[in-house]
Amino acid sequence: MLSKKDLEHLAALARLDFKDDEGTKLRNDLGNILDYFKELQGLDTSGVEPMTGGTELKNVVREDVIGKTDDTGKGPEAFPDRQDGYLRVPPVF
Amino acid sequence: MEMTQSFFDWIEKRDSEIGAYLSLCKDLAVRQAEAVDIKIAKDEALNFLAGVPLAIKDNMLIVGLPATAGSKILADYKASYDATVIKKLKAAGSVFLGKTNLDEFAMGSSTENSAFKLTKNPHDLGRVPGGSSGGSAAAVASHMTIAALGSDTGGSIRQPAAFCGVVGLKPTYGAVSRYGLIAMASSLDQIGPFTKTVEDAAILFKEIAGQDMMDSTSSPQANDYGEELLNPKLENIKRLKVGIPEEYFVEGLDKKVAESVEAAIKDIKSLGLEIKKISLPHTKYALSCYYIIMPAEVSSNLERLEGIRYGTRHKAGNLIELYEKDREIGFGPEAKRRILLGTFVLSSGYYDAYYAKAQKVRRLIGQDFEEAFKEVDVILTPVTPTPAFKIGEKVDDPLSMYLSDIFTIPVNLAGLPAISIPASSVQRQASSELPVGFQLIGKHWREADILGIGQYYEKL
Repeated sequence: MLSKKDLEHLAALARLDFKDDEGTKLRNDLGNILDYFKELQGLDTSGVEPMTGGTELKNVVREDVIGKTDDTGKGPEAFPDRQDGYLRVPPVF
Repeated sequence: MEMTQSFFDWIEKRDSEIGAYLSLCKDLAVRQAEAVDIKIAKDEALNFLAGVPLAIKDNMLIVGLPATAGSKILADYKASYDATVIKKLKAAGSVFLGKTNLDEFAMGSSTENSAFKLTKNPHDLGRVPGGSSGGSAAAVASHMTIAALGSDTGGSIRQPAAFCGVVGLKPTYGAVSRYGLIAMASSLDQIGPFTKTVEDAAILFKEIAGQDMMDSTSSPQANDYGEELLNPKLENIKRLKVGIPEEYFVEGLDKKVAESVEAAIKDIKSLGLEIKKISLPHTKYALSCYYIIMPAEVSSNLERLEGIRYGTRHKAGNLIELYEKDREIGFGPEAKRRILLGTFVLSSGYYDAYYAKAQKVRRLIGQDFEEAFKEVDVILTPVTPTPAFKIGEKVDDPLSMYLSDIFTIPVNLAGLPAISIPASSVQRQASSELPVGFQLIGKHWREADILGIGQYYEKL
C-alpha cells in the first residue's frame, strides 16, 4: 500500500487533487501495481542500451524560414476565459 | 447521399442499444456525400474511398467538431484543426458519420472508462466491446459504418477488433502521422483502421499512411507502401514462414480462444505456408515494462489538460488550485491512476529502479522479436486471453483489466505492425458464439506480409 505522504507528494507533482475515498483506493491500487513491477528487478539488464522512444530516427530539422503572421489560429477561440484575444487566468500567488 | 442517409437511419435505430457514437456529424457528412455525387455526375475520377462512410474515434481532431477523448475535461471542446489522417481522408472523398466512444484518453480495455456512456458488444449486449477503441469496433460490427479509425497504444485497436469480430490493424510505429491524435503515450501510439475485411483494411491503411512533416516520428519509409498491399501474390505469400511463440500459449488461455487460434493455424498451413515453433523469452516482462513506460508518457502528455487554454474550467483562488481542481473534477479514476503511477516512476529516487529499468527491458523485448524474425517472417498469436468479458467484471480490479492486454502489448513496445483477424471457425458457427481473433505480427514496414496472409485467409 502506498503511504499517504507518498500519494500527497505525487499529487502535488502532478497538480492533481482527489477526494478522500478516492485516496484510499488509489493507495491500494497503486500499491498493488507497484508490487507487480517487482518482477522486473529480478531481470538482468546489465549492459543493455535503454530504448528511449518508439523509433531510432534522428532529430528531424530544417533551416529557419523567416515569416510573419498575425494569425493566432483557431486556438484562442477555445480559451475558456479570454479578453481581447488574450488568455485570462487567476493570479499565480 | 442515399447511402449516407441510410447509415444515419440505421444509426438512429441501432445506436440507442449499442452506444457506439458520442456525436454524429450529419451536416458535414451530407456536404461530403454531395461533393462525391457531383463528381460522379461529372464522370470525374474517384478515389476508392470516395463516398465511403467512416466513423472516427473521439481522440482524433476534425476541425469544428467535438473531440472529447471520452473525458469530462474536454466535454465542450471543439477541434481547432484537422488531424493529418482526417485531411487525407477528406481529400479522398470519404464521408464522416460521427465520433465514436472510447475509454477516457484511450486508457482502458473495455470502453467502461468513458466519462459519457457505455458501449455494448453487438454480439452480446451484456458484454464489453473491448477498449479503448470500443465505439469504433462496435460501430463496424453492427454495420453502423463501413469502416472506422481507432488508435492503438497497447492493443486498443486489436483487442476490441477481436472482441467484436472485425478486423483491426495497428501499423508499424511511424507509418501513420499522429498529428491531430490526442496523445496518450507518444512512443507507442498509432492510428489504424477497423474494417469488415482484411482487403478493406489494406485500402484504408494505404490511404492514411505516409510521412508527415507535422509528426517527426513518422518515417520516410511510410511513403514506400505499394501495390503488394492491395494485390498480394499467393506465390509470395506461400514463401512466408509463420512462427508460433510458445510463451503465448500457456495455461490461463481460454479453451475457446485456444481452439479457434489452432484452427486458424491449420487454415494458414493449408495455404502452403511453413509453420515453426519459436520463443520470445522476455514476453512475461512486457506487462510491467509497458505499465511503467506508458503511464510515464501519459503523465507528461496529460499535463496540458488543466482547463486553462481549452477544456472545462472551474473557479479557484490561484493558479495552482485551479490546476488541481480542474484536473480533479475533469479526470476519471483510471486517468488519475495512470498519471500518478507515471509521476511515481519518473520521480527522483525511483526513476532508475522503474523507468530506466523498463527502457532496458523494452530493448530486450524488441531484441526477442529481432531474433525471431531471423527464423520467420510473421508471428501468429492469440489476441486476447479470453473472449469479451461481462460489463462490470473487471472495473474494480485495475490489474486484472491490464492483464487482458498481455498478447498485444509487446507489439507496441517493439513498434511492429500487427493485425487482429476474426477466426473463421467461430464465424462459421452459430451467431451466439462470441467472436475470437488471432493476431499476425509482421516485421517493421511489412504490413504487406500480414495483410497478404490475411487476405488469402479470409478467402478460404
